[in-house]
Amino acid sequence: MSRESAARRFAVAAAALSAAAAALVGLALLAGTSPFDAVRALAEGAAGSRAALGETLARATALVLTAVGASLAFRAGVLNIGLEGQFLAGAVAAAAVGPLLAGSPLAARAGLLAAAALAGALWVVPAAYLEARRGVPEVLSTILLNLVAAAAVSGLVRGALQDPGGDYPQSRALPDAVRLAPLAAGSRVTAAILIALALALFATLLLEWTPFGLKLRATGLAPAAARAIGLPHARLRFLAFAASGALAGLAGGLEVLAVTGRLYDPFTAGAGYTGIAAALLGGSHPLAAALSAVLFAALGAGSSAMQRDTGVPGALATIVPGVLVLAVLAARARLARKAA
Amino acid sequence: MSIAAGRLAADSGEILRGGSPVSYRNAKDARHAGLVLVPQHDLLIGAASVADNLAFLDPAAPFFESAESRRARVGRLAQAFGLELGAADARADALPVGTRQRIEIAGALAGDPDVLILDEPTAVLSPDETAALFASLRKRADAGAAVVLITHRLAEVFAGSDRLTLLARGRSVKTCRVSETTPQEIGGLLVASAEGAERPGPTTSDVPARARQFSNEPLPSLALTGFAPNVASAVRTERVSLSLSPGELLVLLAIDGNGADTIARAIAGLERFSGRVEVGGVPLPPSGDPLAFRAAGGAFVPADRREEGLVAALSLSENLALPNPPGSVFLDRAAMRAHAEERLSAFGIRYASPAALAGSLSGGNQQKAVLARELAHRPGVLVAVHPTRGLDLASAAAVRSRILDACRSGTAALVVTADPDEAQLFGAPLRVVTRGRLSAVLEPATPAATLGRLMAGLEG
Amino acid sequence: MTGFLAITLLLAAPLLLAAAGELLLERAGSIQIGLEGTMLIGAFTAFAAARSGAGPHAALLAAAFAGLLAGAAFAAFAVAGRADPILVGTAWNLVAAGGTAFSYRLLAGATGSVLEVRTLPPLAFGLPAAVLAAFFVPVAVEVFLARTRPGLALVAAGENPLALAATGGSVVAVRTAASVAAGALGALGGALLVLTVSPTFVEGVTAGRGFLALALVVFARWKPLRLVPGALLVAGATALQYRLQAGGSRIPYAVFLALPGLLALFALAATRGRGGAPKALGTPAP
Repeated sequence: MSRESAARRFAVAAAALSAAAAALVGLALLAGTSPFDAVRALAEGAAGSRAALGETLARATALVLTAVGASLAFRAGVLNIGLEGQFLAGAVAAAAVGPLLAGSPLAARAGLLAAAALAGALWVVPAAYLEARRGVPEVLSTILLNLVAAAAVSGLVRGALQDPGGDYPQSRALPDAVRLAPLAAGSRVTAAILIALALALFATLLLEWTPFGLKLRATGLAPAAARAIGLPHARLRFLAFAASGALAGLAGGLEVLAVTGRLYDPFTAGAGYTGIAAALLGGSHPLAAALSAVLFAALGAGSSAMQRDTGVPGALATIVPGVLVLAVLAARARLARKAA
Repeated sequence: MSIAAGRLAADSGEILRGGSPVSYRNAKDARHAGLVLVPQHDLLIGAASVADNLAFLDPAAPFFESAESRRARVGRLAQAFGLELGAADARADALPVGTRQRIEIAGALAGDPDVLILDEPTAVLSPDETAALFASLRKRADAGAAVVLITHRLAEVFAGSDRLTLLARGRSVKTCRVSETTPQEIGGLLVASAEGAERPGPTTSDVPARARQFSNEPLPSLALTGFAPNVASAVRTERVSLSLSPGELLVLLAIDGNGADTIARAIAGLERFSGRVEVGGVPLPPSGDPLAFRAAGGAFVPADRREEGLVAALSLSENLALPNPPGSVFLDRAAMRAHAEERLSAFGIRYASPAALAGSLSGGNQQKAVLARELAHRPGVLVAVHPTRGLDLASAAAVRSRILDACRSGTAALVVTADPDEAQLFGAPLRVVTRGRLSAVLEPATPAATLGRLMAGLEG
Repeated sequence: MTGFLAITLLLAAPLLLAAAGELLLERAGSIQIGLEGTMLIGAFTAFAAARSGAGPHAALLAAAFAGLLAGAAFAAFAVAGRADPILVGTAWNLVAAGGTAFSYRLLAGATGSVLEVRTLPPLAFGLPAAVLAAFFVPVAVEVFLARTRPGLALVAAGENPLALAATGGSVVAVRTAASVAAGALGALGGALLVLTVSPTFVEGVTAGRGFLALALVVFARWKPLRLVPGALLVAGATALQYRLQAGGSRIPYAVFLALPGLLALFALAATRGRGGAPKALGTPAP
């Protein structure tokens, strides 16, 4: 994954772009709109104004973090498909702990985010345990944990965490002082996006420039060799697993802290799965994954405007990432077979 | 033979059958035309019963078949070919290797092929089973089928066959009727055709001298007591007790599947074992812990260098830095590079640059790289499995001499190999492993023919 | 038949169909974690067919056909294409979820009203024929695998694909056929949901059942007949939720929602996960 030749990368990118273009055109036509109008509305909604850009970046915050988390896990060979649930765990922790924290806003934010990251990492533990002791594939257990987390959120916002000020399925709002102020007036983007991008950078440095990162990469690239060579295979995998959970949890916490201010049901809008798609598109490189995540966020921001203006359903923003990943997977597999 | 059976494409020449040229596009066509190849690897569905497996292998099995009919087939084939196939409902992976082989052969014979090709079928059969197999093959031949046997066992060739063709290094060396030649002549041709290979002969082994040099060390480098690997699917190994002093080298000589590589892997911590293993006096956990093995001073060169020896997708300098890359916070790439360059040239490895991917090296250079990494820190014990398999003569000689160098510096070494010539080239004591049993310690100068007989399970 | 039992059977049928299809596919050596997406495709196809005038049984057929195509498409990527099936499955869920939501919106317009469809007519015990038939599917799969030649080939594809290739079979062909069947069965499972339990399509109508079906296959240790008790257990938990909710129970709503997932996790822990898995599960065809 790390040493694709330029020619291969180009071929894969070309495949991805043509697939995405075909999907966009096809979907627009199905909706009875000219593809040009649809793409224009999409672009305007994503980046056509400061507000639009703000929306894109606001959505990107969570996606970048889950994408980076997925990248770390995948590079270590851990199939963590449970980022969705780990995201929710973090959001729950933030919504539960947030209203209770006193002291300076900075301390409150730090405490809240730490709780969120911890919750995300802890949500990984049942899956890691089942894999290590009971041989249950982590793909399966993490997916089931997603379902349990979604159910838990559903219950908590109507029960233990419910805002006593009304009868809506939502949690108590965080105090305004704690919440992050928007970077630009009228948009939802906050400094959180900078935290997310910084973490993407940090993850890249970790993987490529530290001894730990080298060992992690070796474990993911050649698990049998890693074991035979004498790497602490199981421990490395667990650390990557927990780190990815922590990042997803942090994403959930930031979503509550910076974007929504409270927890409600449903909460994720697929942040976990879309993050995985971004990681796959980016070849599990944290920075490339982050970039793909921003792209998907742009799609998401643009698609609501597109739906409003042209009637093309916004679900396009879920289809296109899936199509992109399928194209990339197919292209890479094809090239790998040709090379072999 | 794979080409004839439709499994590989021929590069040149043609295949004649009954006088007319034929070419099979794939194994299915070949089977339909009555030509079957029984290759060496496992052709059975482990989780399925013997009855189901034979139904799978039988080309004449009906679309829908009752359990009784399947069970009946087992009995029918067992009787027809005089082969002991085990209970019809037994799970295939619970059966011993010899039985599984017989089931595969029975499956091949079930379709009544008129050309049958068997690749080393008796490798894991007992002398009685071998005799029974030959009896049924003879029956088929008498009934008009053509049977091609690929084997290295001279006894079988001369006991049961009509004609032979000797192949060495891809070339046909001699073709004649068995009655026109003798075992001695063929044996001589086999040895002579190893062109350029060093002839095994009496060697002045300095291994005993090395061992004496280090005999002041209080603890043996490797000590096995009542040891046996605990792997379900492999051959049952007898309990082994042995010890190696610093600088001592022991060769375990065995055909694949007889248990020697399992022994090696269990010592290195990659499989469970029962009994006691001590490396430098440190006991290892029986559940199998490669890290404990290494911490005690062990080094391991696996049989499969591509899968387990190197991380093909990482660079040479990264590979050589594992498992403990230098650097506290950041990776010290300069140190890694320097270390890699030193190791690579010390071992005579040809490479483009330390940044080249490990997978880009030739087989011989890859194996040298694995050794370079494993021997970098003067291990107390080196366990190497098939270290020169698939290598050209020069690389093989280089690998052997590196291992011997390490022994001279005090490393005890246990080498597993399937090649008797190679075993002798180490000039060290050796033990033959057959069906999980270790022979007595043999002198390196033991004649190749004796080794071959021992490996084949016949008494020397 | 008491209401509780009838509802349990009704809820179990879609799970059973989807799990049976997935079991076939996994026994053949592939794996489709995008089963949820396939069920959605089936659900939407049945809904769309019913809305355009087709009767409920015709809607079922339409869904099965869509599932066939879906299975073929999946196989093109993950079997013949040799892409990692888990990754393909993840992307598949996105495409299917997005695609069905997209199509639903085009079909239903921007209105928020619920569009109902005709449900399947009951045959016996208050249950439609299709639901009752679903309980025979695991039996059919068992017979297929245990007693037929193609069934043996499928088992070989999942346990020892090299052996299948050596005897002249095509691992790709076998796995593709299994994928097509799994697609049809998964889609039928989704269609049943729309045509019985909730007589309408909403985004997320499958509510994670595709994932639960994956767990059921592991819980059944890849043996078809064992799918039935697992499906009944999970369906029973959901039926219990409805009953207790209706009865004004004080147990929090969330416990019931989480129950199927938790049950599946405990069941997996109890059966030691990987035991009984096809040896070549998830590996590319040789």
